[in-house]
Amino acid sequence: MLFRKMIRDLLQSKVQFLSIFLMSFLGIFVFAGLDSEASGMALYESKYYEKTDLPDLWVQGKEFKDYDLKVIRSLPGVKKSEKRIQKDGKALLKEETDLQMNFIESNDIGKMLIVSGEPYNPGESGVWIDFKLAEKQGLSTGDILKMKLEGTEFEEEIRGTFYHPEYVYFLPDAAAMMPDYGSYGEAFMDIEEYPMEPAFNQIIVDLEGVDNTGGLSDKEKDICRRMGDAIASALDSDRIVATDKDSQLSYQTFHAEIEQHQSMTYMFPAVFLLIAILGIITTMTRMTSRQRIQIGTLKALGFTKKTITIHYASYSFFLSLTGGIMGALLGYNTIAELIIGMQGSAYLVPEMKTAFSVRAYGAIIVSVAVSTLVSFLSCRKELAPAPSETLRPASPKNLKHSLIEKSRLWMKLDFATQWNIRDIMRNKVRSAMGIFGVLGCSMLLFAAFACLDTMDFLSTWMYGELNTSSYQIIMENDTPYSVTEEYAKKYRGQMVQNGSCEIEVMGVKKSGALTVYDTGNFLHFEDRNMKQIRLNRRGIAMSCKMADTLGVKEGDLFRWHVLGDDKWQVSHVSLLYRNPTVQGITMTRELYSDMEYDFVPDVIYTNMNAKEELSDDDNITGVQSVGEMMEAFDSMKEMMYMMVYILVCAAGILGIVVLYNLGVLSLVEKHRQMSTLKVLGFTTGKIRLILQDQNTWLTLLGIILGIPCGMWLVSRLFSTMPESMDYIATFKPMSFVYTFAGTFALSFAVNRLLSRKVKNVDMVDALKG
Amino acid sequence: MPFIEFKNVERRYMLGTNEFYALKSVDLEIEEGEMVVILGPSGAGKSTLLNLLGGMDSPTGGEILFNGHDISNFKDDELTAYRAWNVGVVFQFYNLIPTLTAYENVALMKDVRRNVKKGSIWEKESEGVEVMDPALALSSVGLSEHMNQFPSQMSGGEQQRTSIARALAKNPRLLLCDEPTGALDTGTGKEVLKLLQQESRKNRHTVVMVTHNSFFADIADRVIRVKNGTVQSVEINESVKDAEEVYW
Repeated sequence: MLFRKMIRDLLQSKVQFLSIFLMSFLGIFVFAGLDSEASGMALYESKYYEKTDLPDLWVQGKEFKDYDLKVIRSLPGVKKSEKRIQKDGKALLKEETDLQMNFIESNDIGKMLIVSGEPYNPGESGVWIDFKLAEKQGLSTGDILKMKLEGTEFEEEIRGTFYHPEYVYFLPDAAAMMPDYGSYGEAFMDIEEYPMEPAFNQIIVDLEGVDNTGGLSDKEKDICRRMGDAIASALDSDRIVATDKDSQLSYQTFHAEIEQHQSMTYMFPAVFLLIAILGIITTMTRMTSRQRIQIGTLKALGFTKKTITIHYASYSFFLSLTGGIMGALLGYNTIAELIIGMQGSAYLVPEMKTAFSVRAYGAIIVSVAVSTLVSFLSCRKELAPAPSETLRPASPKNLKHSLIEKSRLWMKLDFATQWNIRDIMRNKVRSAMGIFGVLGCSMLLFAAFACLDTMDFLSTWMYGELNTSSYQIIMENDTPYSVTEEYAKKYRGQMVQNGSCEIEVMGVKKSGALTVYDTGNFLHFEDRNMKQIRLNRRGIAMSCKMADTLGVKEGDLFRWHVLGDDKWQVSHVSLLYRNPTVQGITMTRELYSDMEYDFVPDVIYTNMNAKEELSDDDNITGVQSVGEMMEAFDSMKEMMYMMVYILVCAAGILGIVVLYNLGVLSLVEKHRQMSTLKVLGFTTGKIRLILQDQNTWLTLLGIILGIPCGMWLVSRLFSTMPESMDYIATFKPMSFVYTFAGTFALSFAVNRLLSRKVKNVDMVDALKG
Repeated sequence: MPFIEFKNVERRYMLGTNEFYALKSVDLEIEEGEMVVILGPSGAGKSTLLNLLGGMDSPTGGEILFNGHDISNFKDDELTAYRAWNVGVVFQFYNLIPTLTAYENVALMKDVRRNVKKGSIWEKESEGVEVMDPALALSSVGLSEHMNQFPSQMSGGEQQRTSIARALAKNPRLLLCDEPTGALDTGTGKEVLKLLQQESRKNRHTVVMVTHNSFFADIADRVIRVKNGTVQSVEINESVKDAEEVYW
């Protein structure tokens, strides 16, 4: 019978209980959605890497021999190793297309996962290309693919298409921000097909004790570092560079994305759970105090305290459990599917499905346990006394004057203000819940706008501040400097060389970008605070994110070398600059040449449109306009818009539910006071204004607290980006205005809707009894 | 051995630093099956007496014996078991659960016995006494037609009869009534009194009724007058009237 009582009580106070249900629902809905997506990605990442055996170490060098491979294989802790040649070449299609070529002897580590065609067998001729390239360029098995490598043209029959674990995420060059798979690609061929004298430049290694699941643990990182050092010393430490998975762009980016999603998983549900808790406190405290006589009756009839406690705790238990289960099921089937579907364009994995993890069950259990406990604590007050006491109406609260009521200011305040201050002070939890509700609403709204701001700023920052050119002319590989210089002169451009280097500080090695620039006015630099700075012509500057990763600051020493070159240099950090997508070191051409390196620029930045003129030029790979480069943002923005919609909807629901619930509660409690005011001659309009005043104060306070929380949320969100990205959480003034106006409008509308009920307050009815 | 015995019972409250006696040095006896009326003005201590009888409160001094068992030092769960097995309560304002129908309010009593601590002395003493079928309990008070109505759909008299049905459903050895006609008109009040008297006479259940209405003394076997927290007199009524014959 008590269960029936609970169901009917729930229906009778449906607005209040609905808010508890919705908060529990939304919390788990978002949690389960994000968690199932992140868990799915993590699960299928592990499965994929396990199946294809992603290498644990990549050893780069100039000319590896069989002997080197033998040395590595003889090291304890090495499971398998293979040597190969990895070079950037071209696929000669309608247009020359970037193609990273791998010439292999065997395929036991970093295996191709064949999509179509035949599997690779050592010694067989032909080429295997990534399936996105085949798809976009209209290539299929049996076609002949013409290619060019270091000036040599050759052709092979396409034997198959594949997915490859080292190419889950990859970019054509350092200037690219987002992948556009299919407009460049990668290929695998047998070493016999290498068109020149083979010189192996890479050895991939599979290690004992390092598996392919769940990212690299500290122990695994340690093994990788030790084995990297062991290989370096076994061969010739200055000649080679060993990098682990964490420095491999594809693995690192994909894994960081998963980790970012996992960290986001906890942020939003925490807000909803907090509001659910406040909702439970206000609703259950009021409900049990309203049902005081009923509780006394149940006690008098012989119900045990335990039974009555369970009965009242079961309200929240029931609501949070049904809310949790429904949220989990719906979150799993909507948010998770939606987000994971959008990952398909950014990452090349054969299979990516959502996975319901133990954490989702855990979240339901935590939500239910916390809600039930809070409910129990809220009811305790009415359950503790003897039945004889509970059967009597509660004695009125012993009210004391607060400080403000004792101050001189108090008497100067008008009636409405005094009334509202007293109401807030005497209903602290209810008021706190109102503030929290508005806080949550404005926080989410602000986060939504700030995400858009950040994305907008990113493109402006990249292509309006750091690079002010309108076009980039991309040179063919190994174009001699003299030729590139001619183009630079002709198009009044700035030459830049993009390469890779390895940086070492206190034994910690990181791969990074090496940018060498010639004089010109297109490349600019900004410090940590986004102020324009000029790089020291004689010093090496380091990107802030790289410096933070390595734990260095301006003036500190570090060791570095160009990838593929043995010579280690010792330099000090002359300046720190900020770049959103390229992390590494930057220097002038003069300094680079002084260190006896050849300046081989691969890009010319210009403001002159050379697109048509250079379309058939043999020395030019392509000319890209800023507009084209910015298009790469589109898929990223699409994802961001989706997140913004979710945030705005969540903010709206949160705001409406919490404010409406509190409004109803407040009206019920003030019914008698309002009818008294009516009897005394206050007009309905005046009473509505009094209610509106209080609502305005709480809303203002909620927004004032909510916006900094939103700023924190967005900063936290962008700080979990991969190591290669350094996005700055941006807050435009209009976002503050929109958040303020949006939250206020919502709060005002809810209050208007509610305060209409003042009209229906019946003076006679309310003053009875 | 009397069915109920109060020995020098006191109930003291602290009001700030001051002591206040709601009951002081109360001695009284009640026999099983009696219809007892406790009379007194407001604030005399009638309700405190009823609360102590019903195990809804504990005395701060003295002994209360129920069927020979001292319940004055009972812990919370023991008192709950005492109430669950022995006591039925009828309140002045009915105290029905507003979200349950008449039937469901009565059926609650089944839950009471189900959830109470097992193996108590009361359980052994009440062996074979079952909770009545709610429909039967309701028809015994003439509410067969109203079983599916919520309290808000019933008149005051119907609500009080439901309250009595709920109390009787337990087959309690002690039926306590706190101003059971206080909120009813004379006609309906008389119906309620008839039910209570019938319960005492027919089923030999002890009925203790608290009231400030001295006319009710006529239907009682024993009349206890209370004033200022003390028992002023205990009278045995030699010429008990039927509830029909009482007017107020």
